[in-house]
Amino acid sequence: MIETRNLVKSVDTSEGLLTILKGITLKVNEGEIVAIVGASGSGKSTLLGLMAGLDGASSGDVLLDDNNLTEMDEEQRAMLRGQLVGFVFQSFQLLPSLTALENVMLPIELKGDDQARDKAKQLLQRVGLEERWHHYPNQLSGGEQQRVAIARAFATQAKILFADEPTGNLDTATGKKVVELLFELNREFSTTLVLVTHDERLAQRCNRVIKLVAGEIAEDTKNTVEESVSV
Amino acid sequence: MSEAAFNSFNKPSAVSSNLFTVALRLLWRDWNGGELRLLFIALVMAVTSVTGIALFTDRLEKALLLESANMLAADRIVSGRGELPEEILEEGQARGLRTAQTLSFTSMAFSESGNMLVAAKAVSDAYPLRGEVIITKAAFTRGRPILSGPPPGEVWLEARALPALEIEVGDTVFVGEAELLVSEIIITEPDRTGGSMMDNAGPRLMLNMADVPSTNVVQLGSRVSYRYLFASDELSELDDFEQWFRAQEEWRGRFYIRDVRDESQEVADALDRAESFLLLGSLFAVILAGVAIALTAKRYSERHYDYVAILKTLGCTSSQITFIYLTVQLVLALFAVLAGWVLGWLVHQGILQLLQSILLVTLPEPGLQPYVIGALTAVICLLAFALPPLLALRETPPLRVLRKDMSQQKISDKVPYAFGILGTIFLVYWYSQDLVLTSVLVSSVAGIALFLSIISYLFLRSGGSAGMKAGNAWKLAMTAARRRRSQNVLQVMVFSVTIMSLLILTLLRTDLIDEWQAQLPEDTPNHFMMNITRNQIGEIENFFADNGIQDNAFYPLISARVTRVNGDEPNPEGNLGDDEQNSLTENANLDGVELSEAAQAAAGETDTGATGEDQAGRRVRGGLSRRQVTWADEVPPDNGITAGEWWGENPQPGYVSIEQDYAEWLDLELGDRLEFEINQQTVYAEVSNFRSVRWDNMQPNFFIIFSPGTIDHLGGTYLSTALMEQEQKMLLNDLIRLVPTMVVIEIDALIEQIQTIIAQVTSAIELISVLVLVCGALVLLSCVNASLDERFHENAILRTLGAGQKLIMTSLLIEFATIGFIAGLIATIGAEASLYYLQQEVFEQDFSFHYWVWPLGPLLGTLIIAGLGILSTRGVVRISPLNVLRRLT
Repeated sequence: MIETRNLVKSVDTSEGLLTILKGITLKVNEGEIVAIVGASGSGKSTLLGLMAGLDGASSGDVLLDDNNLTEMDEEQRAMLRGQLVGFVFQSFQLLPSLTALENVMLPIELKGDDQARDKAKQLLQRVGLEERWHHYPNQLSGGEQQRVAIARAFATQAKILFADEPTGNLDTATGKKVVELLFELNREFSTTLVLVTHDERLAQRCNRVIKLVAGEIAEDTKNTVEESVSV
Repeated sequence: MSEAAFNSFNKPSAVSSNLFTVALRLLWRDWNGGELRLLFIALVMAVTSVTGIALFTDRLEKALLLESANMLAADRIVSGRGELPEEILEEGQARGLRTAQTLSFTSMAFSESGNMLVAAKAVSDAYPLRGEVIITKAAFTRGRPILSGPPPGEVWLEARALPALEIEVGDTVFVGEAELLVSEIIITEPDRTGGSMMDNAGPRLMLNMADVPSTNVVQLGSRVSYRYLFASDELSELDDFEQWFRAQEEWRGRFYIRDVRDESQEVADALDRAESFLLLGSLFAVILAGVAIALTAKRYSERHYDYVAILKTLGCTSSQITFIYLTVQLVLALFAVLAGWVLGWLVHQGILQLLQSILLVTLPEPGLQPYVIGALTAVICLLAFALPPLLALRETPPLRVLRKDMSQQKISDKVPYAFGILGTIFLVYWYSQDLVLTSVLVSSVAGIALFLSIISYLFLRSGGSAGMKAGNAWKLAMTAARRRRSQNVLQVMVFSVTIMSLLILTLLRTDLIDEWQAQLPEDTPNHFMMNITRNQIGEIENFFADNGIQDNAFYPLISARVTRVNGDEPNPEGNLGDDEQNSLTENANLDGVELSEAAQAAAGETDTGATGEDQAGRRVRGGLSRRQVTWADEVPPDNGITAGEWWGENPQPGYVSIEQDYAEWLDLELGDRLEFEINQQTVYAEVSNFRSVRWDNMQPNFFIIFSPGTIDHLGGTYLSTALMEQEQKMLLNDLIRLVPTMVVIEIDALIEQIQTIIAQVTSAIELISVLVLVCGALVLLSCVNASLDERFHENAILRTLGAGQKLIMTSLLIEFATIGFIAGLIATIGAEASLYYLQQEVFEQDFSFHYWVWPLGPLLGTLIIAGLGILSTRGVVRISPLNVLRRLT
């Protein structure tokens, strides 16, 4: 489903070239739930962004559902994202000028689907926010905003879902509820899920945990399905 | 911890010095980060345009006045009926002014074989105080300039008098009882065109003031015109002197002080209009720069909410926040003022460099005032435009550290605009000191705001559907425009005010220049010929035809006086308001024949359009005194009938056409029966129409025109004009030999002078327009930038969710183009409306609809805003969405 080959990402800084990812090679299979963990600055979010096609690599390849992202231009990558990928961000990234409903409608509309409103309403109902659909993000709590973001991520029934620290901005209880919702929907829609997290317990609920240290894969461990379901 | 507790805990002096360091570090960081650059540039532009324009107008006005003063031979002239009190001259001398005297009278000059009526002018040794006398030894050759009049015992005679007197240079003539040597031929004197009727009654004979007593022609009761001339390089000395003079109540109505503005209406008009234009230009520049400052400051403060929240979390109080940001702004302003001064100086130097070839005088050094005005502008701009959003920063809740969407609660969004509006009104009034101009500008902007509120309301109502309609670029753009409506309404407002300013300036500039060029076209006649009898007309026409000189219509000329209106004696003070009345009284008593133009001298009657309150008074100066009138079959060129009807194809005697201001002054109505005294006979005529007259066209113009057959039998002479090039001037001698009684008045020098001044003013206007254009571009850029963060964020999310480059760019293009179109349309409406007022009230022009602007304005708006918008936002699709999202969160 997702494959990276010798992926390198470097950026220019005032102190010279800084290499964030140093040749990452990995494979994520369809339906897998993968957690990328590691210390701050280890390159987790950068890896996620490259896998999702949100940024270009310095060298190496990223294959998303057999499409080589490194050979695509931004226009083609955008189209692929629209078809294949959903996102959940730590800082929610809802559009402040749109209501909850409009935020969820957005990716559906981008696909040219004229049932956007109905589908978005169903999803909001699914995440328990049917009463709040007309509220703007600043009228919602952090947990509610993240639930809207999750509804939006599943709106186009994406095959792959990327989540960057989805509970990072939430308290433990709210974070737990959001994770439950995320996993539930993931199961329901049979999505491949890649998430970056600091949360050890969240990582343990995934099929597989990839640990990054200084831009390199330090560990790649598989949890049993039973473990991940039971926690 | 409370603020007091905080301060008691920390040593105040150490705290403020630390805060100052923090502020400087912040300034340095933001400068490097590029955030302050637009704000800085906007401030610099405000200071540059104001300082540059103030420096330029300051020096140009001084220079133009100086050059124009050459037409007076002085900076100020005191004149009057009868001998002038010595005290005036002494006071001028005591105040350090340079002084001279002239005395004009008509006299017969005799030679052994002939005699001739001459316009004699005696001058003191210091004459002329400004300009040069041009003299020559051989008639009709290019002369040499000299800075004095003739020495005692000598006279200078105009060339055309020599053949009539049958003398040569070196012979003598008698003026009264004095025999004087004709030592030079006089070609021109600086104040030749600004003299009295007596100065135009015949060829000039100039003599030294010391010889006047020996001529014995000036005696008690003689008709003579006295003048005192004053000049100084210090404008303030002249102004003080003028104030002193005007304070002498006992001289009111007997003696008058004048400067070039009273003397030449064309120059006065050009100067007044240029000043108004430059003023308007600098106003626009400052307002636009102010808007740019407001926009950039707002964006700057929005970007600093997080920074302030963190500072507050760390214990920084609101007043410390204010201190930090005030310091940043003041240090920035300090550098902006310095940069603006330097740039302003360069701008004005650049303008002067361009005008070098036509600026004939050395410019006086500018004062300090322009620099002070520039610096004050920066301070006021900051206070009005930048401070409010920056002060709003102090209200940032520290909780924002945790919740980014916590925004400013206390200060309403509208407060900064209110400050800006008040600041703008203050600046406009401060610069212009002109209520009309201020109210026109303010009301046109207010009109636009109102219009926009209605438009945005309608726009808002039309679309009730939710979402972004993201599937289609057009719908995406429209919903985006609707979603950002308050921001967009502001943008449209800023864009329309900017485009409107540019349109107003461009249209005014074009109209002004067109009008000036039309006023004195290439073929404007430069010689007036008068005192022609009916049977000489044929000879003169043949002479012109033989020599290829373009001649014009011959107007009959006869002296008349209005004695009764509908049987009643007319009010000698006319029918005008108090202000107008004062100036009329002042002018009316100027000997009745004191004239300001050569054209006037020739027509005996004309005056030129004045500006301001005293216009009507000036035009009808002379009141009920004798006027040169004419009769005509057809309406003269440049005259328009404003009421009633011109006599038809078979004109009947007994009708008269009256100039509209004169009619108003006499309180006339159509059908009134007027009684005239002409050549000791009484003539009656019925008012059949009122006319408008273009007084500034340097053509014969008349207050009173009779229908043919009414006064033809009463005699009179004829007047005509001709265009003679420099190389044809020798022919004048032959013409005068042919028609010795004819008087020729040469106004070519005057026309050339006026054309030069107009050319200078035109170039200045062009340059000011460029400066305003730069300010306009700056505003557009800052306005687009102001919404850039939001657009970047929105589009990064759209791209993350799969929106393509084409969709995003097309929708941005449509959104900007729509905003641009609406702004262009509103700007066009606003520009035409403002121009209507400006042209009528400030520039005294006729308003005409500019049809071509109606498609051009919206098109221009669309192209400029779409172009600028796309240029600024193209990065939206270039930078990777991950970078945008990271940068903005």
